[in-house]
Amino acid sequence: MKRSISGESMQLCTVHTSAVNGILIGRLSAVNDVVEISDSIPLFHSQIGLLPSLEIALMMVEEYFSEKGLSIVGYFHANERFDDVELSNVAKNIGDHIHRYFPQASLLLLDNKKLEALSKGNDRSPVMQLYSKDSSRSWKLVGADGSSRLTTREPSANIVLLDYISSKKWEDLVDFDDHLDDISKDWLNPELFK
Amino acid sequence: MVSREDEIRLNELENQVDNGGGGTWEYLCLLRKLKLRRSDKVLTHGLSLLNDPKKRSALAAEEWTLYEQVAVAAMDCQNFGVAKDCLNVLQNKFPESKRVGRLEAMLLEAKGSWAEAEKAYSSLLEDNPLDQAVHKRRVAMAKSQGNISGAIEWLNKYLDIFMADHDAWRELAEIYVSQQMYKQAAFCYEELILAQPTIPLYHLAYADVLYTLGGLENFQAAKKYYASTIDLTGGKNVRALYGICLCTYAIGQLSKGRNKEDKDGSELQSLAATALEKDYKYRAAGKLSILTSTLRGLKL
Repeated sequence: MKRSISGESMQLCTVHTSAVNGILIGRLSAVNDVVEISDSIPLFHSQIGLLPSLEIALMMVEEYFSEKGLSIVGYFHANERFDDVELSNVAKNIGDHIHRYFPQASLLLLDNKKLEALSKGNDRSPVMQLYSKDSSRSWKLVGADGSSRLTTREPSANIVLLDYISSKKWEDLVDFDDHLDDISKDWLNPELFK
Repeated sequence: MVSREDEIRLNELENQVDNGGGGTWEYLCLLRKLKLRRSDKVLTHGLSLLNDPKKRSALAAEEWTLYEQVAVAAMDCQNFGVAKDCLNVLQNKFPESKRVGRLEAMLLEAKGSWAEAEKAYSSLLEDNPLDQAVHKRRVAMAKSQGNISGAIEWLNKYLDIFMADHDAWRELAEIYVSQQMYKQAAFCYEELILAQPTIPLYHLAYADVLYTLGGLENFQAAKKYYASTIDLTGGKNVRALYGICLCTYAIGQLSKGRNKEDKDGSELQSLAATALEKDYKYRAAGKLSILTSTLRGLKL
């Protein structure tokens, strides 16, 4: 999950004045019913509630990753305001849309306060909240004692994330919005984590 | 909406300034002119100008504008010490100024002292009910507090008075979209297109909203506005080209069996697809195969 978390949270830092979102890529592990999130594609930082660019993004992302045996496994959202901890309707609707393709899909909401607190503490837990769809078909926050859990593969993920933030790596991040404005910009960000 | 030349000049200057090559004042002026939000840079570079007495006096009367610009940037970066210092200088120079009074209210707002800021803004408005900036601060405050319905209400009231403020219409449209109130957002874009029919951004945004609303009529209308965007941008707008493909597909799905639209629709879609493929071939060749498969998926 190392790269995943860093990518998404960085995207937040890029355009910290608006809401941002992204798609999570991965696979369902054959072994123990674990959804492994191996990558994330940052999507938009403006007009998140509009469909056309979302549909194009989903099509292209799925096209690209299905060749590699991976698929879309979830959706990531970060709210505009620092103290807004609610899962907005827009986020839920996009989550629903993705859930139709992949029933195991989960929704990650960035915990702004945890992100900010990273530099002050030794917290190794992920800086996001996990939501999954329950039997009533609504998105519910998963607690630490729930049947689903979010863990990072590498324990040092948050340290790496802090490093990326302080070195302003987010300035180089390209999201799908950037790509649509200038197609020479690559939403795969191949050079970013080298 | 920044023009290409301005964007190039801005990036040049930003690079120069970041690397200690001078041009700070020109950079800061350009940011002010384009109304861009780069508060961290304004704070760093603006402060370095202000802290240098020689450079400061070289600015002459513009010095005060710089203090204002740095004060606002400081507030945005939550650096209240610097903001207060700048304000003090301005208060000394212009003791009865309404403009400085507005900055004081903004500082209260930035610190989160909502009630006091609200009082300050209300009193400023009593003295000058037509102060647009203060009206807009009130909307911004509502937004910051998460009071979106309040923000919408204030912004609508503002537009009743200042109906030619295009930025405000855009802001309202974007708030509506974030709340998934697409019909209301469409109305805002209709106002904008009426007022400024040659701005492609409005046609594009309107088309996006219509597509999101869905339904045969909306898809057909959206297609027209994607087409007008393409017209107004000389075929260079990638989002509009994708939009044509999406609309044609959606219309086709909805009117399966009816032959009317087929020929026209597919011709325009082919043209759009060709234009996209050409563009990707030259500027994003690595993504060309994904584009081709995606477009294939959208053909009837």
